[in-house]
Amino acid sequence: MASFTLKSFTGLRQSSTEQTNFISNVPSSLSLPQRRTSLRVTASRASPNLANRKLRVAVIGGGPAGGAAAETLAQGGIETILIERKMDNCKPCGGAIPLCMVGEFNLPLDIIDRRVTKMKMISPSNIAVDIGRTLKEHEYIGMVRREVLDQCLRERAEKSGATVINGLFLKMDLPENWDTPYVLHYTEYDGKTGATGQKKTMEVDAVIGADGANSRVAKSIGAGDYDYAIAFQERIRIPDDKMTYYEDLAEMYVGDDVSPDFYGWVFPKCDHVAVGTGTVTHKGDIKKFQLATRNRAKDKILGGKIIRVEAHPIPEHPRPRRLSKRVALVGDAAGYVTKCSGEGIYFAAKSGRMCAEAIVEGSQNGKKMIDESDLRKYLEKWDKTYLPTYRVLDVLQKVFYRSNPAREAFVEMCGDEYVQKMTFDSYLYKRVAPGSPLEDLKLAVNTIGSVFRANALRREIEKLNV
Amino acid sequence: MSLSMALFSPPISSPLQNSNLTSKISLSLLSTKRFSLVSLTQASSSDNGTSATVSATTVEIPKPASPAKEEVPVKSPTESSSDETDLTTTTTTEIKFQDAKWVNGTWDLKQFEKEGKTDWDSVIVSEAKRRKWLEDNPETTTNDEPVLFDTSIIPWWAWMKRYHLPEAELLNGRAAMIGFFMSYFVDSLTGVGLVDQMGNFFCKTLLFVAVAGVLFIRKNEDLDKLKGLFEETTLYDKQWQATWKEPESSSSTVSSQK
Repeated sequence: MASFTLKSFTGLRQSSTEQTNFISNVPSSLSLPQRRTSLRVTASRASPNLANRKLRVAVIGGGPAGGAAAETLAQGGIETILIERKMDNCKPCGGAIPLCMVGEFNLPLDIIDRRVTKMKMISPSNIAVDIGRTLKEHEYIGMVRREVLDQCLRERAEKSGATVINGLFLKMDLPENWDTPYVLHYTEYDGKTGATGQKKTMEVDAVIGADGANSRVAKSIGAGDYDYAIAFQERIRIPDDKMTYYEDLAEMYVGDDVSPDFYGWVFPKCDHVAVGTGTVTHKGDIKKFQLATRNRAKDKILGGKIIRVEAHPIPEHPRPRRLSKRVALVGDAAGYVTKCSGEGIYFAAKSGRMCAEAIVEGSQNGKKMIDESDLRKYLEKWDKTYLPTYRVLDVLQKVFYRSNPAREAFVEMCGDEYVQKMTFDSYLYKRVAPGSPLEDLKLAVNTIGSVFRANALRREIEKLNV
Repeated sequence: MSLSMALFSPPISSPLQNSNLTSKISLSLLSTKRFSLVSLTQASSSDNGTSATVSATTVEIPKPASPAKEEVPVKSPTESSSDETDLTTTTTTEIKFQDAKWVNGTWDLKQFEKEGKTDWDSVIVSEAKRRKWLEDNPETTTNDEPVLFDTSIIPWWAWMKRYHLPEAELLNGRAAMIGFFMSYFVDSLTGVGLVDQMGNFFCKTLLFVAVAGVLFIRKNEDLDKLKGLFEETTLYDKQWQATWKEPESSSSTVSSQK
């Protein structure tokens, strides 16, 4: 798998031959660090210093990815321009952020509206399992309003020295040579709402595309398409007594009626709940799935008023090309949303930061021009750090979201304390903690048992049909 | 019957539910009063597969044998243009799953006793009926009556006896028949007896293939299913590696120079 990456870089490794032998025997995850330590080549060593100016980088899109990227770039001494089309954009989003994001991005605690410490998973036959018993006092899932989070990150970027422009990116002209700039065409609104804005152009050395699922930057560089899910959500204001139930609890509904390949959710927000569902394969039936989700939660949201209906595409996997010359994609534009849980905020912010760090390092704090190999370093680091997480979640989705019996087994498994501990550890801290082998074995046996029982019941159901 | 389905087979939900629809009519003849309700419901609604909620909203036929008074739950549609839509329902009762043995969100095992011991088979069948009911008529979850049933209370040997053993018998029978005729065939062709066949590597390979085939290919569709499964397992990786695979002539020359 990662042996593909090795093949493309074999030409670079002029050094010791014993390492090539080593590579052929060792599994890819072990050989990668070998390759990195032997490859201390900075591509831009050969390029001359930029005369009289710093590197100019434009970040298109001011969401978590764009904000984090712009902040890191500005702090690294690079001239940063952040272009965002709607400064108060209220994004349709679950709004859940893991605990590690608060620490890693120094988020002020007041942007977190709620701390979810309990979750309920509800199976197709309404068997409900409580999750969260294993959480410690200080651990929680933060629920934020996207407009608040995005604004916070953008403000920090501005304070670090980035220029924030309210504008809509239209297209860009690709350069011919390695040192000619990219020409961005955009419409600047400059705070005047309702006005058509004026067309402007800008020359930059590199571009970070952080403009989300329908990324125009991705289109400009021919990054290719991806499969995407439609997430449909309704914000419902429910009576106060019903709201106390959702004080710190989020719910996940699974079932064929709710979604054939995803889940329906009820997430508490600042003063209302968000009820939604999503699907990849049956996008046309999304309204039906939404009705079913509301039906399943009916008793608990009775008397509520729908205050907003929203929908958004969610990428299912990365785009075929995530970078091209001096343009890199991050966040949703690159397709960094996990399967199974559909988590994207943290990965967007982290990828923005990682890409910016790669640019800062490659340009030696803005003194030199960068080129594609600097950006490739960001991709390598990203894949190395997070690909196992993505793979595990993909396997979970493939195994447990297939059918109603699989979902029943999934909900049963989630009742197990060990599973809860491992799940929360890996979600909150984004690390795959090594569990004890004995517990892992017990877990494997229990999983097989649950799946077997659920499938046996399905066969029984089919017998009843005949 | 559909006893032998591969354990991890991907769901073929739409043909399954289409057969649901057509066999619902026959089901009404066999099942109890409660389930005749279900079948009439389904038969009256325009079904396209997973339209359980749609059926709930379009039912208007008076049920002659219905135990509960049936009302159509009225919900304000999401398609309304106004921003604020009320979710209060105006119904009195709805069809809910009810069974004498389903008490407080779980099966009352005492009611399943036969000759002093719990009859696990009937527990399994009752749970299957409940799940089928819920698949066709998804219910809301309430905090007042949480569902607490856990299938693991049914002991492992009950599951084995009911599901694994009959299938194991079937597969063993198939393997034995194939094995007998293959060994006869090989013997008649080559003159090598059964004992000597077992010493030959090629024959052992054939044996392995035969056993694997019997285990994994139980229906004609299983062949395609297995191929699909294999592709599925590798697809996500391929999507991630796509960014590395691009044969970009310009960048590869640049990188090879360094």
